[in-house]
Formats: sequence, structure tokens, C-alpha cells
Amino acid sequence: MSKAKRVGFKLDMTPMVDVGFLLLTFFMLTTQFKPQDVAEVVLPSSHSVFKLPDSDVMTVTVDKAGNVYLGFDAQPIREAIFGGQNKLKAGIQVELTELGPLLREARIRNPRLRTVIKADRESEYSVIQNVMETLQRENITRFNLVTDLEK
Amino acid sequence: MADVQVSQSKGKEKHKGKKKSKRVGVRIDMTPMVDVAFLLLTFFMLTTTMNKPQTMEINLPPSETKAEVAESNLLTLRITEDFKIYWNVGMEKPVTVDGTDKKGKLINLGKLLKDRNRANPKLITLIKVDGKAKYIDMVDIMDELNINDITRFSLAPMLDDDKRIIATL
Repeated sequence: MSKAKRVGFKLDMTPMVDVGFLLLTFFMLTTQFKPQDVAEVVLPSSHSVFKLPDSDVMTVTVDKAGNVYLGFDAQPIREAIFGGQNKLKAGIQVELTELGPLLREARIRNPRLRTVIKADRESEYSVIQNVMETLQRENITRFNLVTDLEK
Repeated sequence: MADVQVSQSKGKEKHKGKKKSKRVGVRIDMTPMVDVAFLLLTFFMLTTTMNKPQTMEINLPPSETKAEVAESNLLTLRITEDFKIYWNVGMEKPVTVDGTDKKGKLINLGKLLKDRNRANPKLITLIKVDGKAKYIDMVDIMDELNINDITRFSLAPMLDDDKRIIATL
């Protein structure tokens, strides 16, 4: 008898599929792909909960070896500062001496740019100090340090 | 003319009849589409980055500004390469912050700074970090200041004089 019942068993999947599509649309619309990194950086952790701004960000990346990279989130400004062949790159390596003029030029093009420093936790402080001095000389007195949330 | 119309109407009728009979049994198998949709759903759910990185905001005075601070209102923190913390107020002799490990030192430092700031609300903390120290050391110190709500601080480079003072202790 139970066998006879099972033959005609049909489950209406429609609601599940509806929900599935709803979620799919949600994720497709809200997803933001992880921005590509110029260099591999292990972030230091802190208790700060201030979020990184979404747009108009200028990133100064310092990797473990002390190399300095400059990057922008928007393509037009990348093209303007780094030249057309580099517009698809998230950032390029710069010397500390070049950093000042580049920052100035970028800020003339987009005065709303916010500066963030993204440095590896193991990198030497002297490099960071030089970067911060450069920022200070360019009158960028407010900037952010990117950190991970401490657990 | 009439002939053509007739034939057209005939054709229409034929078509209609065919469609009707077909429509009764039309059933498209939705399974592959739903499969693909769920595949995409899993993909987007796994690749989406919900957590934006945290940041710590720092305000530095413009390089030309020279602020005059009374010595008694200035607490100097000197952090060495191997994460020893020396602190002193004004011209006092620098003292180390106790603690067996980094975390202990930081907690003690936080308490110390909090007490000092309560005792003297005008206190300004000056942080001098050795150039050979790690970036994480500096972030940890800044984090400790943030946790204890100490907003009046400044960063200064560690000069040779500072190193000499510490070395003589």
C-alpha cells in the first residue's frame, strides 16, 4: 500500500525556486568583487570599527619588503596618473621621492580623494614613517590606516 | 482576391487548431534552468565580500605648525625595536612599562595612559617609534590609545637623541 502511494508523490518546487531566484538577484546586484591587490599584504589587526570608504580612495600600499605602491580605485584617474598602459592595474610601484608629486597631482584631479595606508604588519616602521611624512608635506593631514578587525 | 483570403483564413484555422491541441500538453522541463540558477546563486554567495576592511583614522597637524606645549603636559612614549615601551612626562627620566609579553605591556600602557589623562586632562601624548620597529607595533599602540579614548596624540620620529636617552638607562 505504501508503495502505491509513493508512485504519485510530487512536491511543488515552485516556491523554493522562487526564493532561489530572489536570492540570486539579490547577490548578483549587491556583490562587489574583491578589489585586486597590488601586493600581498598581511594587515595588522585593531579594534577600530571605522569602515573603509567606498569610492574616491587613494591607497598607498607598503609590502613586507618595504616597497611602496600607489593605487586608485577609479580607472580614469589611474589612466591620468599612470598613463594609458597602466589603467587596468590597481596600482604601480613608486619611489618615495615620486610619491609626493603623484599625490599632489591626483588630488588636483580629484579633491575628494581620501588617502589610506595599507601596510604589511611586518614592514619596517621607518618606511611608514617616511610615507606619513610625505603625506604631511603634501598637506594630507587626515588619512586612514587599513586594519583587520581583531578577534 | 477572395480566393486568397479564403485560403488565408483556412490556413489560420488550421494553425489555430494545431496550436490548441499542442498547448494542452506543453510542459517545459525547468530543471536545468533551476540548476543553473542555483549554481550561480552559490557562486555569488561564496564570492561576495560582505566585510569591508576596517580603518583607523589618523589626524596629523600640517608640517609647518609648531605647537608650544608645557613640558608638564607632554607625555612621551618611546617604543624601541624590540617593543620596549618607555614613558615619561616632561623632563622626567623615562620608565619602562611592565608586562611579560606584548599584550600585557599594552594593557598596562592603556591603564597608565588613562590614569594620567584623568589626572591631567590637558595631557598630550607624543609617540616616538623606532624606525626599525615593525608597523604592527605602531598600530598596536595607536589601537591602545583609541581604545582608551585618547585623542590628543601626535607622532614624532625617534631621533638619535632619544635613542641615547634610552641607552643610558
